[in-house]
Amino acid sequence: MEMIIAGLMDSISIYSLMFLLLGVTIGVMIGAIPGINGPMAIALFIPITYYMTPLAAIGFLVGLNKGAFFGGAVSAVLLRTPGTPEAAATAWDGYPLTQQGKGEKALRMALYSSVAGDFISTVVLILIAAPLAAVALFMGPSEIFALISLALTVIAGIGTSSISRGLMAAGFGILLGLIGTEPVTALPRLTFDVYQFGSGLSLIPVAIGLLAFSEILLQLEKLVGKGAGEHATTEFSSKLADRFLSFKEFFANTKTLLRGSLIGIGVGAMPGLGAPVASFMSYDQAMKRSKHKEEFGKGRLEGIAASESANSSVVASSLIPLFVLGIPGNLAAAMLMGAFMIHGMQPGPLLFKENAQLMYGIYGSLILASLFLLVIGRFGLRFFCKAVNIPALILYPIVIFTCIMGAYLGKSSMFDVGIMLAFGFIGYFMRKFDYSYVAFLIGFILAPEWERALQQVVIISEHDTFMFFQRPVAMGLMVLTLFVIARTFWGSICMRRRKRVEAAAAAAGQHKAD
Amino acid sequence: MTRITRDMIAYLLIIVFSIVLFTWAIPTYTPAYPGYGASPALVPNVAVGVMMFMAILSLVTVAIALYTKKTLPKEETEFPEDLEDGGGFTQIGRVNLYHLARIMIPCVLLVVAIEYIGYMLASFAFLMVLQYIIGSRKWLQSIVVSITLTAVLYIIMRYGFGVPVPGPQIFE
Repeated sequence: MEMIIAGLMDSISIYSLMFLLLGVTIGVMIGAIPGINGPMAIALFIPITYYMTPLAAIGFLVGLNKGAFFGGAVSAVLLRTPGTPEAAATAWDGYPLTQQGKGEKALRMALYSSVAGDFISTVVLILIAAPLAAVALFMGPSEIFALISLALTVIAGIGTSSISRGLMAAGFGILLGLIGTEPVTALPRLTFDVYQFGSGLSLIPVAIGLLAFSEILLQLEKLVGKGAGEHATTEFSSKLADRFLSFKEFFANTKTLLRGSLIGIGVGAMPGLGAPVASFMSYDQAMKRSKHKEEFGKGRLEGIAASESANSSVVASSLIPLFVLGIPGNLAAAMLMGAFMIHGMQPGPLLFKENAQLMYGIYGSLILASLFLLVIGRFGLRFFCKAVNIPALILYPIVIFTCIMGAYLGKSSMFDVGIMLAFGFIGYFMRKFDYSYVAFLIGFILAPEWERALQQVVIISEHDTFMFFQRPVAMGLMVLTLFVIARTFWGSICMRRRKRVEAAAAAAGQHKAD
Repeated sequence: MTRITRDMIAYLLIIVFSIVLFTWAIPTYTPAYPGYGASPALVPNVAVGVMMFMAILSLVTVAIALYTKKTLPKEETEFPEDLEDGGGFTQIGRVNLYHLARIMIPCVLLVVAIEYIGYMLASFAFLMVLQYIIGSRKWLQSIVVSITLTAVLYIIMRYGFGVPVPGPQIFE
């Protein structure tokens, strides 16, 4: 109990509150800019957190992520340009409302839905993470090794249409994650006699390069020469009924909000799915259960509530696998895992035992971030709307230069800037060739822990090849890993076969017509 | 070049890269087995093995489909911009090497120049060049953005975090 009170008191210290507020504010502003999302913002700002206390750093990054999720709705509603896939469903109903001059009302619905979904999800996280972590403490290195293997296979399917390419990317990520000092011999491995590689590749330049720099390269490719740098300004109606959301309008969507939040919690807690799945699933359910199905896509508040409550509730629930098992469920959680490691902590069940006060402080910050989001969103809505109008000609040089200096800031080393540029280059090709950078990054982050667990298993079992058969949970997880691989491959084969049959039928039809 | 040809070339390159790693990089730059625990080369070999196996599998799958002259779906043969629906959120597409070079070369030059002419001058010149490349022709705006950004980041690094800015300190 003392720990809980001390942790919560830490979270309401002026220092922590200041950074939390700053995180949420920057998050909303950044998220409102088309093309910049939560994980990208975390990658850009992680170097700054070096100079903060662990609680302020995690609070700042969590606030940033929460803010960016709502910010994504701003560009989706006002410009029909969802910066992130999860905001696409919000644009379907948000943009038609903007065209009717009700953009502010749509944004208020998005804000209240985001806050509601996020708050419910945070409460669930607080209630279940610690008890689950207590159970997870019984897991040994065999179970951890098997669990990471499972996570890597599940995650391999994210961000690519091909599981094979996802596994190749994960393998490459693991390989690069192993560069540095080998844990058993304490000798350099795969360093190619470059002394800067001795301590391994830093997460910061790798993440900034892969997430932010490569994304900017792609966005610039679309913008340069097309004169798309200037966005149209948005007109808002001055009628009160078009600007504000009445209690009646909000409470009419309570069921949708709750359903969306539950879908978001369920999806977020499962590694590998993520906010877009939650958002589309919730929108689909809301439409199927609505009495006004025909109004969806034409500016229905219910659609916004469904999408925003679901995608925002993923933010906190994706921390469940991270806090309980030390496995990041999505990219934002992977970046937060990196931040924990930078501050000398290993996410997982031991976190509650070794850093209980900090964990309760983080819980406090998570709840406060929801409240800050409500306040900042409520009063700063019109100001954040202006962020979507920043010309690309000014925005992109700023982001590129911030990427470069952010990579430098971590170790005050220009070598890291070179690493960042190299990974920006690699990331550009990975995206163009459909190799999952998400699987790569998660493989890169989990590789040292995966190898450590394997080494422990081998040393403890004295080279017993059948060690997994003696640990039922580990064996179950390994079987599940094989099942996931087989299931995904089988699904992929079936889908390819179906598409080929369809393509052949279409080609035959075309031939007959000719 | 169709998308499927490009993918096949990529798979071949991955296979060659994996062979180089297996036969040269991992044996040369991995410590010898100390006699306990797993070999330091085990996990790197597993990672490279996964890459190689998947690349071979993908290559064989595509080769069989082409050999048996099966009709492949459009999204496997064409780039999303060639497809009617544009491909949604996908970022698959043709590589624009000219664009890549236009952005990457100034960045690489900045890294080199900063060591010789210092942060202030190199950053200012870099931002001016970058804005010009992106399409800005408003010189006053470019100068204001370049000076402001260079100064703001200098102040944040120097006085906010106490980190020395890179390169020689010409103006100190």
